[in-house]
Amino acid sequence: MGHDTAEWVFVAIVIAVLIYVGVDSWIVQKAVEDVPADAEVIKVTGQQWFWSFEHADGTKEISTLHVKKGHAYVFEIYSRDVMHSFNIPDWVVFEDAVPGHTNHAWFAPDTAGTYPIQCREYCGLLHYNMRGSLVVEDDKS
Amino acid sequence: MKTLIAISIITLVAVALVSQLHFAHAQLAQQTSAKQYINLRAEVWNEFFRMTTAAFTVGAIVSGTMIWLVWRFRESNPKNKSPTKWEHLEDPTSGSYEEEGH
Repeated sequence: MGHDTAEWVFVAIVIAVLIYVGVDSWIVQKAVEDVPADAEVIKVTGQQWFWSFEHADGTKEISTLHVKKGHAYVFEIYSRDVMHSFNIPDWVVFEDAVPGHTNHAWFAPDTAGTYPIQCREYCGLLHYNMRGSLVVEDDKS
Repeated sequence: MKTLIAISIITLVAVALVSQLHFAHAQLAQQTSAKQYINLRAEVWNEFFRMTTAAFTVGAIVSGTMIWLVWRFRESNPKNKSPTKWEHLEDPTSGSYEEEGH
């Protein structure tokens, strides 16, 4: 094997790895961002310094959000004042709340329990205390 | 050298295929029930580990090549007792060794 061949094999391996990284990331990103058709919409509004939620049936909650296990939910995230960031660390929900713009994130909890919600964008004096709770309940229906 | 390259390529293909098979299998399983949703946390962490594997593979190839270069072309290597064909050139940066007749 000449030097040229060895060098081309080296280049080909690196290109193959890069193509694999790109294709695999694209497939996973598509799967992760693909919101299920039956996902229930929950409007999430961030404002200094608490979260409020509105379910599809009009039910409103402040700071504590109740959802049912085994259902998919899509959050429409919005801010009334400054930049916030809606984060439920246990369920990989992490999206900016921007004034004048609605962002989306979805999740489908499969374990009942109480999980923390917190703001992840410094939004003023009481940012540290802009917390909430996600309560995932067993679906008895 | 050929064996090393062949093993590297086979390993790479295996690493790429195994993860894709897992993913395809998970997607097929998902289609069995409309109420089954992908586990975002699992997908994200799986992707992280696959990317880590790819990064370490590239790192191993690059660092392995450099280690081989240093070992092969060290002064004490018996193979380096006589100058290489490139070192016969007065100015190795000009022309090619074929033209010089080596």
